[in-house]
Amino acid sequence: MKQVVLVLIGILCWLGNSPLASGQSKIISGQVVDVLTGAELLGATLYWKDQPSTAVVSDDQGRFSLPSISAVDSLELSYIGYQKQIIYVPAHSSRELLIRMIPSAQGLAEFVVEGKSQFVHSQSTDLGRNIIDVERLKSLPSLFGEVDVLRSLQLLPGIQTAGEGTTGLFVRGGAADQNLIQLDGAPVYNPSHFFGFFSVFNPDALEQVDLYKGNIPATFGGRASSVVDITMKEGRPDRLHAAGGIGNISSKITLDGPLFSEKSSFLLTGRRTYADLFLKLSNDASINSNKLYFYDLGAKFTFRPSDRDKLSFSTYFGSDYLQAGNLFGFGWKNWVGSADWKRTLRPDLYLDLNAYSSRYRYQVEVMDNDNGFLWNNLLSESGVKTTLSYILNSANSFEVGMKSQLFHFRPVEMSTQPGSSLVPVETNPGNALLQSFFVLGESELGTKLKLETGLRWSLFARVGQGVEYQYEDSVYPSSQTITDTLYFSRLQLMKFYQGLEPRIAMRYSISPSLSLKASYNRNYQYTQVATNSSAGLPIDRWVLSGEYIRPLQADQFSAGLFKDIKGGVWEMSVETYYKKYQHLIDVRQGGEVLFSDQIEAEVFEGKGWSYGAELLLRKNTGRTTGWLGYTYSRTFRQVAGISLGQPYAPRYDRPHDVSLVLQHDFSKRLSGNATFVYATGQAVSYPVGSYVVDFQQLPLYPEERNEDRFPDYHRMDVSVTLKDKEKGKRWKGSWSLSVYNIYGRKNPYSYQFTDIINNDINFTSSSGDPIYSKRPGVVMTYLFTFLPSISYNFEF
Amino acid sequence: MILGLVSCQEEVYLEVGEGPELPVIEGIWTNNSIYNQVRVTRTKNYYDSASYRPIADANVYLIYEENARKIRFEYSEQTKTYLPVFNEEGRPGRRYSLHVEIGQNHYRSSGILLESPQIDSLSYVYKEERAFRPKGYYLKVHGKIPFAEDNFYRIRVNRNDTLLTGRSDYLLFDDTFGTAAFENGFELESIPFRKGDEARLSVYRLNESAYDYLQGMLGLLYNDGGLFTPPPQNPISNIELLDGDRPALGYFMVGSVKHISRVIE
Repeated sequence: MKQVVLVLIGILCWLGNSPLASGQSKIISGQVVDVLTGAELLGATLYWKDQPSTAVVSDDQGRFSLPSISAVDSLELSYIGYQKQIIYVPAHSSRELLIRMIPSAQGLAEFVVEGKSQFVHSQSTDLGRNIIDVERLKSLPSLFGEVDVLRSLQLLPGIQTAGEGTTGLFVRGGAADQNLIQLDGAPVYNPSHFFGFFSVFNPDALEQVDLYKGNIPATFGGRASSVVDITMKEGRPDRLHAAGGIGNISSKITLDGPLFSEKSSFLLTGRRTYADLFLKLSNDASINSNKLYFYDLGAKFTFRPSDRDKLSFSTYFGSDYLQAGNLFGFGWKNWVGSADWKRTLRPDLYLDLNAYSSRYRYQVEVMDNDNGFLWNNLLSESGVKTTLSYILNSANSFEVGMKSQLFHFRPVEMSTQPGSSLVPVETNPGNALLQSFFVLGESELGTKLKLETGLRWSLFARVGQGVEYQYEDSVYPSSQTITDTLYFSRLQLMKFYQGLEPRIAMRYSISPSLSLKASYNRNYQYTQVATNSSAGLPIDRWVLSGEYIRPLQADQFSAGLFKDIKGGVWEMSVETYYKKYQHLIDVRQGGEVLFSDQIEAEVFEGKGWSYGAELLLRKNTGRTTGWLGYTYSRTFRQVAGISLGQPYAPRYDRPHDVSLVLQHDFSKRLSGNATFVYATGQAVSYPVGSYVVDFQQLPLYPEERNEDRFPDYHRMDVSVTLKDKEKGKRWKGSWSLSVYNIYGRKNPYSYQFTDIINNDINFTSSSGDPIYSKRPGVVMTYLFTFLPSISYNFEF
Repeated sequence: MILGLVSCQEEVYLEVGEGPELPVIEGIWTNNSIYNQVRVTRTKNYYDSASYRPIADANVYLIYEENARKIRFEYSEQTKTYLPVFNEEGRPGRRYSLHVEIGQNHYRSSGILLESPQIDSLSYVYKEERAFRPKGYYLKVHGKIPFAEDNFYRIRVNRNDTLLTGRSDYLLFDDTFGTAAFENGFELESIPFRKGDEARLSVYRLNESAYDYLQGMLGLLYNDGGLFTPPPQNPISNIELLDGDRPALGYFMVGSVKHISRVIE
């Protein structure tokens, strides 16, 4: 490892001193903004017309930088939803440019693609990265009319879903807890509403979704499989704007505009479901006493005290609540907040300082005078990240920085009422500090080779206040064999881990429109979810690394061919990857993790690996746009104590996965969208017999896990959007009609192997009816067949 | 609840594999001789609706480990189970081993017959219907658990001489949430009674391995094969294979039992 570090440092130093990086050429730099609002435009593409391979993309402040050339040439700019611009620049110019982009007549909403244009796809070092334009997502068919950011990511190659309707992401063989999903730099621990059927992100408030599943830059860390970096919109400083929508199950509103002056702006957003209001309409007391809702609130404030500074503060709060009569209530809440300061220290040197806090809380209440209880838990993470970016020249740029994180997982508490026969339960807290340092360099080596080298060094300390149990056998701890208990005071070191995480990516241009890319990434993850279900639950137990549970380590090798066709109108890529994991945890059979203080005694540690090939063909412009994705992948785990210690496929291992997304503009007002998905059925276990014990007919399962498959999954969704007639007014409205699963495919959600009594799959013993027949059977549950929804969206 | 709002169900026929035929042993040894029996059967094809495929030629015996006394069992054609040759019962504090020999395979499981908790009375209260709970009379067991360890309990319920065997009729609890369950009245929340019903409860104190087996079995009965349930697995048997090559399914439950009954008036 030491040698790897020295080599990387050597490469970075060499790059910094190489003739390529000597700064002999002049640099032309500037900023790209919206001509109407003054908003900086991230992702605008700029290149010399005669040298398309020089293309660069503006950063999140709209800044760009590229070398000037020796002759007069024209600089082309393009950005989705804006008119293309051509600027003539004199020889060896080094002046600062302010480029004002003019929105195209059609506007952003009609364009659909990831912020790319010609040759950027093939010429960047991005490997396994997708930038999602949120405006595009809004026109995709949706479940219940709720456009969902995370569900739409499942349409990309390499990303699997746990099952019908759920928003959990399983990226290149990684589990759902291996994704760092962050909003303006703050992690969101449970990004789901309604047990995963919807994600917490209201698309109206989002600017961009950036997914890294292959080469994850060294500036990110802490999760093994992917980063979903979500940016909240900034308010527009020109005037007050509003956007909203009314749908089947929820309504939403977003306001943005100037705050005090044109140098500052605000954005406020809210969304709420109203299923509970319909429940109240019922005359049935067992229905109208139930509650079921979620809501989101978000805000972002942006200040530009000078031309060189930008401050932004953003926050999100989301809440779910479910109550069944006066029996029990169940709710969970996410709160994240972040503050960000971006400063241009010099034209080539930028500072980004981000501080955040994230809290996730759940609560379960059983309302009973005798045996009632209140069970709750709170997870919190706070951190500060500093990044210094230096653009040496258009061929070489560097980033260095550090991130400090504090984890505090409060004890799982179950409190009871006075006089209750239940004894309150309280586990011990979990605390940890994670300090990371990172360096990243991106360099053009000649005209064909581009290299991105990075290194992240993470130092993790599990600290008190806490408790550590000693076992007779520390390799296989068992709750029955505790020999001693160690108590640690506040901030006292309990366990320390450190690791280097090299990240290397390269691009070799075979031609201006064809390139070969490859990368190697290592990621450490210091907190995992201990769960034995396939989909995430709000009460999932997050576990910090410690004496017995080691950090999860993931190494990924990936390579791919990237081709731009017809100047970027079409894109095609083939990516392959191999990924291996060490120190994965899986809950042992019968393991109880929810209230346990000895999680290490309830889980097994093992390893895993996954591999696959992803094909993506995309059309970016024209009246018909969309993409076709195909993935072949396999995922395996090997954990002693599970499946006879032999490799087994987790439920989300689905070798074949096809996604087809089509969008067509029939006219300026009418557009249509269709998505089709196909995937191999989930890996599951079917019984191989049955037997009777204690009067119960039990299915007999094989010792090997998940050797069977559900039937293949496929579904088509369609939607049409009709815009209101343009009347020269600010009000713009549109109706969207969406149908989920238009041909009514009965994709199994589950198969239950159970006794069928009296030929009635809904028979219950409490009915008191006599039993005249009983036989083994299979009951299939399926969701969402032909589910239409309608919504009206507006903005002004 | 959410799934119930958006899901549909139907019975389907699914091709399933056929595994090796395995013996299934279900042994019960208590301080009450009428319960003491061992059932030895074979596994069957999943769709086979026959209730049992008994093995009638096994050699079954129990050993009281302290003095190595052997208690022999013989097969009863009437009950399709093995019953003690002499009508015997276990005694609290003693460790017993069940042995079953089937061909070349020899199985063993052992446990201590633990003392019963104190069961004093049975009360009931009428409750109106509400979500997930039908109206009816609900029982409360009163007593005391005086033990600091080995607190693993099962309550079986008879309603008018019918043993309730639905999955919602399983009542299993340990001391995770304390041992005061009986002192304030342990309510049987899932089993309603009507006026005139006779309720008869049997309270078993189990060994942990038998309790874990029943918990695993109950988990399997409630496993709907969906995303939010664990991968289905056979309950972990407490029967070990001493000789031979074919492991057995099932469990051996050694424990004390106490009864209490009351008519709902």
